[in-house]
Amino acid sequence: MSVQVAGRTLTTDPRVALRAIRLEVAGTPRPLKLWFALLTALCLVGAVGAVIALPPGWEVLGTTPTFEWGILITGYVFFAVTTSGLCLASSLGTVFGIEMFIPLEKRHAILALLSLVTAFGLIALDLHYPIRMVFGAVLSPSPFSPMWWMGVFYGAYLVFLITEVWSMFTGHWQVHRIACVLSSITAVLAPTTLGAVFGVLAARPYWHGAFTPPAMVTAAALSGIALLGIVFYLVHRFRLAGWERAATLAIPAIRLLLTITLMVTVLVLAWQMMFGLYGVVPGLSDATGALLIGPLALGFWVFRVVLGLAVPLVLVLLPRTRTPAGLFAASGLAFVGLFADRMIFVSAGQIAPGTAVAGVVSSPWAAYGPTFVEISIIVGAFAFFALVYTLAERYLPMGEHEGHLVGAFLGSSKPAATTHPEAPDPIPPAAPLLDPAGGAL
Amino acid sequence: MSETGMAGETDDQGGGPMSLSRRRVLQLGLAALPAVCGARLVSGALSGSDGDAVRAAGADAPAATYDPTAHSWAFAIDTTTCIGCGRCVEACKLENNVPDEGKMNRTWVELHILDQDGSVHVSSPEGGRQGFPTEETLPAAAAATVRDAYFVPRTCMQCENPPCTWVCPVSATYRTEDGIVLVDENRCIGCGYCMVACPYGARYMVPAGGATPKGVAGVVDKCTFCYHRITRGQQPACAEVCPANARIFGDLNDAASPVSVALGEKRVRVMKPALGTKPHVFYTGLEGEVD
Repeated sequence: MSVQVAGRTLTTDPRVALRAIRLEVAGTPRPLKLWFALLTALCLVGAVGAVIALPPGWEVLGTTPTFEWGILITGYVFFAVTTSGLCLASSLGTVFGIEMFIPLEKRHAILALLSLVTAFGLIALDLHYPIRMVFGAVLSPSPFSPMWWMGVFYGAYLVFLITEVWSMFTGHWQVHRIACVLSSITAVLAPTTLGAVFGVLAARPYWHGAFTPPAMVTAAALSGIALLGIVFYLVHRFRLAGWERAATLAIPAIRLLLTITLMVTVLVLAWQMMFGLYGVVPGLSDATGALLIGPLALGFWVFRVVLGLAVPLVLVLLPRTRTPAGLFAASGLAFVGLFADRMIFVSAGQIAPGTAVAGVVSSPWAAYGPTFVEISIIVGAFAFFALVYTLAERYLPMGEHEGHLVGAFLGSSKPAATTHPEAPDPIPPAAPLLDPAGGAL
Repeated sequence: MSETGMAGETDDQGGGPMSLSRRRVLQLGLAALPAVCGARLVSGALSGSDGDAVRAAGADAPAATYDPTAHSWAFAIDTTTCIGCGRCVEACKLENNVPDEGKMNRTWVELHILDQDGSVHVSSPEGGRQGFPTEETLPAAAAATVRDAYFVPRTCMQCENPPCTWVCPVSATYRTEDGIVLVDENRCIGCGYCMVACPYGARYMVPAGGATPKGVAGVVDKCTFCYHRITRGQQPACAEVCPANARIFGDLNDAASPVSVALGEKRVRVMKPALGTKPHVFYTGLEGEVD
């Protein structure tokens, strides 16, 4: 007995499968083995944290009535906006017809799907009754609630994204085109409703306003593009499938997109701060003060402003650092800055409560510190994301054209990719921009 | 949620299967039609919520003969007479099996000390349950040139336009026809959205392992004006035990009710009126610092 998966024949005989896995492990380069071992260990740490936090383990979380949304919500928002950014970037080719982007779509889509699954996992751990949510959202819908619409759009997005990935790897291009369009539409709608979840709350002036949903889309674009910058540098550096296009096409394109989104984000942030400082709106000015000179100032200035925006912007603009390594550094910093930004965003809305909550007076600031369990879950989420993506990179046909598929790192056992009908003709391998030394991790 | 689509539910107190099924069909219809939702949203915003049929069982269940359409419950709280003894907090905890922890209260009392320079020092040690020991209040008072000081009993405002019910993704929290915002503990998913949406900090998450008001942990809890008591002709526990008559409770639909009389006689205000929530808790002697 055997099954066909992504062009490969897989046995269902456990003994044969076990032997094949053993052979595969034995044939895996040592650095990659260590990488897998590290990620697996971190996943296990996260899994232990998740098991501890499962109902009725809510007390292990550091949240309080005053600070109800903590780092798990931060992680959810981070991955939920990242998936949208990745999907939007992937839609540039098939949806908007920019031909040069078509060959890049596979990694975007896989990352988007993984990011969404990770986001769902985190929100399920934060909810006390996640199963109830699934049934409740269907059986007793609440169309006035932005959170309900967020669930609808992210749920639909998941279906479209799975279809997009499936059709991409199986060569169903008609279905693929439709799935791309639908997933792109929901990739915009979903983060805007996520923004609305926060934006409709008049009780939280820092979050409140029509400004929040578009700001969420800006964050989505930046975080998705930053992740692509990291991934395509690694593709280029380790000569993974399609690395020629990474050097000649992906890296310059991502640098351009990253530059634009960084600039837009700087503008959005600057105006956000200006609005916070202009006048003395209770709650809003307090939260802005917490960001600029209060308890959130360190995270804001160091991680958000300097490392997350200023340094990446310099790296992508200076001619001297306009290299793949420069893009990698800029993307990595922007990505870390984005997580800090999501943490700051979630915290700033709650840090100046404006009233006692359930009898607790928080003056001048409400306090929250993530517990070890919460941190382990977040670390586990990132490890899960990286682990599954590395597996996908190793075992799925990520390249676009036969003949350009096989990188030094992946070996020759990978199946051939199905060629997109609109993809540009194969290009000759370009001279790498960096010394491609070290063909393995 | 009620208005036009829910008109039939007034006949179905107790939330029988027929009414639930009809309600869900209607809601599913609404969910599928954003245009209808928009219209409802606008009409809801213009008219205010008329309230939902009570579907609560257990701790919140009303008396069988109770007619929710005949009442509109409200509190008139007199901050000039509250002595900060904390008996109301204690009574609430005992009556409703509220967790013993000081940071989780359905009702609490705050001490507001107003300085000459306009600053306000607010304290509520253990929710005011044990009163206000001098060592808790003295530091704030000592540092200030006190212009005024008074106690502010706090509770859910039972808003006519409650942000908490609007944001709940599974309709677990809702406003009854007599104006009480309740939480369906069997439907709440514990997301905490209503907690961050409440401008008055009236909600908390029931912890596991201790007292649970409705026997379910991990769901949101809040003041119900002691719904199980008021629907049987009794006063809420906090009003019942108040020795200073600072918590005046009654029915706004009854002109002779103590609350109606109090609202007619005194100059009252609500907290955070600019948010448009239309609270059903009115205060006498409250200054602007609570906005």
